[in-house]
Amino acid sequence: MKRPECIRIAFACGIVAVIFTIFSARLVHLHITKNKEYKQLAAEKHLMRQIIHAKRGMILDRNGEILASNLPVRTVVADASLIKNPAAVAALASQFLGLKEADVLKKISSQKKYIVLKKEVPEEIYVDLDAAMQKAKLRGVTFEQDAIRTYPNGESLGHVLGFLDHEGKGIQGIELTMNSLLAGKNGYRYIERDRTGKEIMLYRGAEEEPVHGKNIRLSIDMSLQSILEEEIDKTFKELKPETVTGIILDPKTGEVLAMANRPCFNPNEPGKAEPEQMKNRAIIDMVEPGSTFKIVVAAGALNEGTVNEKTSIFCENGRFLYGGKILKDHHGYGDMNVHEILVKSSNIGSAKMAMLMGGDKYYEYVRKFGFGDRHGIELPGEICGLVHPPARWDKLTITRMPMGQSVAVTPLQITMGMSVIANGGHLMAPHIIKSVEDLDGTKILEKAPKVVREVVPEKTARFIADALVGVTQPGGTATYARVNGFEVAGKTGTAQKVSAKGGYAAGKYVVSFVGFMPAEDPRFVCLIMVDDAKIASNLNYGGLVAAPVFSRVAEKAARHFDLTPTLPPIPLQDMPMAKAETLNEATH
Amino acid sequence: MNSPLTPQTRSNPIQLAKAIKFIAFAVTVGALGLSYVYLKNQQFALGEEIRLTEKRIKQIRAENEVLLAKTTELSSRRALQQGMMNGSLHVVQISGDKIARLTPASPAMEDGVLRTASNERAAR
Repeated sequence: MKRPECIRIAFACGIVAVIFTIFSARLVHLHITKNKEYKQLAAEKHLMRQIIHAKRGMILDRNGEILASNLPVRTVVADASLIKNPAAVAALASQFLGLKEADVLKKISSQKKYIVLKKEVPEEIYVDLDAAMQKAKLRGVTFEQDAIRTYPNGESLGHVLGFLDHEGKGIQGIELTMNSLLAGKNGYRYIERDRTGKEIMLYRGAEEEPVHGKNIRLSIDMSLQSILEEEIDKTFKELKPETVTGIILDPKTGEVLAMANRPCFNPNEPGKAEPEQMKNRAIIDMVEPGSTFKIVVAAGALNEGTVNEKTSIFCENGRFLYGGKILKDHHGYGDMNVHEILVKSSNIGSAKMAMLMGGDKYYEYVRKFGFGDRHGIELPGEICGLVHPPARWDKLTITRMPMGQSVAVTPLQITMGMSVIANGGHLMAPHIIKSVEDLDGTKILEKAPKVVREVVPEKTARFIADALVGVTQPGGTATYARVNGFEVAGKTGTAQKVSAKGGYAAGKYVVSFVGFMPAEDPRFVCLIMVDDAKIASNLNYGGLVAAPVFSRVAEKAARHFDLTPTLPPIPLQDMPMAKAETLNEATH
Repeated sequence: MNSPLTPQTRSNPIQLAKAIKFIAFAVTVGALGLSYVYLKNQQFALGEEIRLTEKRIKQIRAENEVLLAKTTELSSRRALQQGMMNGSLHVVQISGDKIARLTPASPAMEDGVLRTASNERAAR
């Protein structure tokens, strides 16, 4: 071979070698040097972490009635990078989603990869839109699974159930306190998508199954709840008070069977409610309890032996000068025993019993009855009330506290206090959660009744209960609390409302009745509390306003519990509050 | 001098054994390649089927939940009470003779004791 030929061949080989070297170098650069960067880009384009949503658990009543459930909906999302025909997509989506076509077009023209077109789209609309998209061979619109929480009973039990925020997190009621159990844990899966946005099953990556939320079964009985709500609703409309609160609980177990407040709100539409409507006043409002508090001093004095069943206390004929102030009774009474003091609701008799006990001992019983402490019910925001220790009392406190002044308690505390008498002297821990269950109904956790302490022996509780039966008998302060066929025990409370400016608000009262039935073997304790009913002051008493409501609730509850009547029927009584005209006259 | 184009020296006989080996190897590689592609296609098709089935299951579950929610809503206490109030639902009292009892009922007025509706079986 001639020399010039060799040179040419060598030159050509050299060029080829250089070209291949350049290509190889580029290949090495792309695969090794830029590996991380391009892998990331590829992953961003095709690989994604798909969230598998956990199902939020339901809330049920004690009989399995659904109180909170989930309604599946879709979030319609557009990926502008995948949309080839924005006008057609906009026309179709707007038609099904009820949006303006121009708005949709504007949104999907932004070239963003994640554009939320509409949230909370019903499942039916999603199915139709998806089919229409497929038929028209359009792509770039996906449908993310979501759910909205629904409360089928609306306002009923709203304060107890609470509601969720826009992220699906409980922010009030059981939804808040049991959020961790209800919410479950979302799962995930790594997936790859093709250029049309469809998942390529072949490349499905690591996956973790979601842990669905647990169902929460409440101790609430919706039949009783319905009875209570109906009656307090009627009271709220008729008497136009600031608030009405009702609680029914089982004194033997501490289970809350019903809890209702007015005003109330619909948890399906929490945005429409005022903050005042959202308060569960049964646990976050503190009020002066009034005469319902007399059971504490009576039980304490009897238990300490300060007085006995026959001890006679002089009630100063209705005017008792102590600490420079006159303490009055509604009527003038002379000598009365403990039974009569409770039946007649004597302020002076109660004050004298406390004075005989001594401040420290009396305070001890107040605390033993659960006042001044949170009961620890599974609802958010429970307050402990206000019970000052004797060191912070003034000279009058020993005479005022026994009649339910100079002390602030929650409606739940009053109900629990009465439960102590109803169940034979034990303070139970109130609870509203009955059990936690799996989605298939298997119980994971069951709440057992818990005795917090023995407050008084059964004998003392029995004696007080007998006296409280007298309260509802002729001559007592709560004859309107009676129920046909049953013996009712209870205590009225009429407390002047504390003014925000200090002292008491003139003509404003918080009236209540807390009682249990049947007195001989109580199945339930019920509290009715009415704050500032718009009626004449001479009618605004616990025995006239709250007791009749209790009676109606208790009568219906007796039917629900299938209780056997033990007494003959009682004659009908004239109800001073029964007629609207009377009410109107009284109001004006 | 021999010509450089003599047929004897220019002959290039086919080595059959080697050729067969090569062809067999090529066919095997080709078949493997095709099988791989076929299997990939099958996997893809199967994946697509799984995806559609999963989608359908999800949809059915969602529909089921929607129906459950609707049933709950329609059979809720509030809905039933509203139905009774506006007359679309009517509750008819069950007469005594339509109730099968384990223990004979005692007439409500016999002993003057008021019996609640569910308590007619109360002890005498």
